Amino acid sequence: MSKQLIIVIKQTYRSHFKSRGYWLLVLSPLIISMVIGSVTYGISKMQGNTTPTIAIVGDPSVRTILKQQEKALDLHVSKITEAKEANQKLSNHDLDGVLLIQNNSSTLTTQPKSNTINKTALSAILGDLYRSQKASGYGLTAEQTQTLIKPYNLKTVVKQSANKSTDGDNSSMSNYGIAVAIGVITTMIVMWYASMIATEIANEKSSRIMETLLAATSSNIQYFGKIIGIFALTLTHIGLYVVVASITYFSFKTNAIVISLSKNFSGLTLSFSIYAVSFILIAVALYLVLTALIASLINDNSQVQQAVQPITFLAMVGYLFSFIMTSMPNNLAIKMLSYVPFISQSMMPVRLVTKVETWPSAIISLLISVFTLILLAWFGKRIYAKNVLSYSDDKILSQFVKNIKNKN
Amino acid sequence: MIQLTNLNKTFGDKIAVNNLNMTLEPGKVMGLIGQNGAGKTTTFRMILNFIAPTSGSITWNGHPITQNDKQKIGFLPEERGLYQKLTIEEQILYFAELHGMSRSNAKSALTDWLKRLDVVGKATDKVQSLSKGNAQKVQMIASLIFNPEFIILDEPFSGLDPVNTSVIMSEITRMRDQGAMIIFSSHDMNNVTKISDNLTMLKQGQVVLQGGVQEIREQFGRTKVYVEGPFSLNELAHLEGVLNVNVQGAGFNLTIADDKTGHAIFKYVTRNGYIPAFSQQPPTLDDIFRQEVAHNV
Repeated sequence: MSKQLIIVIKQTYRSHFKSRGYWLLVLSPLIISMVIGSVTYGISKMQGNTTPTIAIVGDPSVRTILKQQEKALDLHVSKITEAKEANQKLSNHDLDGVLLIQNNSSTLTTQPKSNTINKTALSAILGDLYRSQKASGYGLTAEQTQTLIKPYNLKTVVKQSANKSTDGDNSSMSNYGIAVAIGVITTMIVMWYASMIATEIANEKSSRIMETLLAATSSNIQYFGKIIGIFALTLTHIGLYVVVASITYFSFKTNAIVISLSKNFSGLTLSFSIYAVSFILIAVALYLVLTALIASLINDNSQVQQAVQPITFLAMVGYLFSFIMTSMPNNLAIKMLSYVPFISQSMMPVRLVTKVETWPSAIISLLISVFTLILLAWFGKRIYAKNVLSYSDDKILSQFVKNIKNKN
Repeated sequence: MIQLTNLNKTFGDKIAVNNLNMTLEPGKVMGLIGQNGAGKTTTFRMILNFIAPTSGSITWNGHPITQNDKQKIGFLPEERGLYQKLTIEEQILYFAELHGMSRSNAKSALTDWLKRLDVVGKATDKVQSLSKGNAQKVQMIASLIFNPEFIILDEPFSGLDPVNTSVIMSEITRMRDQGAMIIFSSHDMNNVTKISDNLTMLKQGQVVLQGGVQEIREQFGRTKVYVEGPFSLNELAHLEGVLNVNVQGAGFNLTIADDKTGHAIFKYVTRNGYIPAFSQQPPTLDDIFRQEVAHNV
């Protein structure tokens, strides 16, 4: 690597790393997450005791059984058994509900300020009791009654190629989690850093600093120096988040939310994690190269958004396709898109982890992206060299088309 | 030595530079003059390899200018540009490093440069806080701090007041005395006369004048006479060989047909003895520039 290239990389990295804007970018998602977390925690604490208390009026055997199921139903059964007293207490907001047990049905009366009562669970238990009583009336034994009221068990299993099976429900949750994580990470990074590199190049071009820079260096050094410098900033950004996430995980690993979140990623292996991260990084590099190429066609800073918008839109397309893919993994178009650079990073890792695709297919998809990155970088350096010192009144798209036709 | 040989540049049908030949030597200053669009900046851009010549060659000591050679070139672009949000020091150190100078050397040299160019402010000030004149001086420092062997200055005096102009001029002559090859463009003929050893005048991409400054002026003959004394404008205008007379301060500027007419005029104005001033000079560069621009228009 030439000394000048290292100087440009260091300058690009240093000037952004020391800027307030960069730290705002890095810290704002963390601060927002902390604020949301604190507010949620505060609200749950301020809520106090939310377990509802209900009075059960009617059949005492039902009351006894419900009293035994208090924990499962997440409610308290009041000592009150008289309808009049219960209704009075309900009117005074001292009870959350009154359950009136009748022969073939029950009525649950609540008031506007009642805590939430799990009606589904309540209804399930009452239904089982009702069916048990009826079965007993028909002369069935206790064992027969149990068999009759036992729910039908439909287990879902995903058959894998290597005679291995995974739990279907857990897999789909895990896939969804991975799809969201990869999509969000790539899209956010592209949105932040595409704009950063475009602004950098547009600023140097429009303020004519580029002429001073190119008097000492070549356009290739400027082009690759900026891309690598900004890429190093994205690595720093991701690295910081990994450190913060690790600290958070180890500090709160007994927390229910952390446990439930980490369950979504329990199926991930080290090889898959390396593959997914590599794909994200290659994709980010692809987007940076594309942005640098297009930014060289910008004449002033006002055109930055115009140039960056289609690129961020492209990143979002991949993100959206990843959701469609989870519901129809065998669709031919979806399968083909999993090999298309700029989109494949949101799709192929998820297809691999769900075993829809095999490792060879996943490696081919990654290699296509790497190959495209090399081609685009080579093409981009020519476009950059040609345009970074030329100023045109044409729109960015028409300049780009002219460059491809080599008529500029 | 920088050699431009049979250099041509066309943009479509437009000829920007037409068969330009020029030699730049160490310790010499070349002034490049011409109207806007004459091809001065295009020439600089070709030397810096920003654009490729249509034909012809540019060599440094006999070989094409390489990337290593470019590190030894100090360039001040016509349209000044600096990183507004960086400090003076961050900016200068970056440019100096790109030209192969170490950060520590650049840092110590910067203090001297800021003092010598009388930049108002500290090295830690952001460029956006500087006045236009000071920013221009900072840009000049960025172009020269690494002691380049070859210096290209595109309109170095534009936008500067007379005091700052003379500061920049003294830096140019200092670099020249250190042995640098210097080429600069300017519209101010007075400045060109003061610091140029040689000059090239371009008109629509074509060289119309080239050589030493005094040599070029002498080519046009000593046809300018300044005289002070008890004369009237009408009286001087009717002398033989006088083409034009106008009042300048306490005296008169006469344009005469040729060198010899000066002798007759001198005899006439001193016929009664002493007069305070008589000077017979070749036309100034400004006169020549105007004359050449007007020629064939």
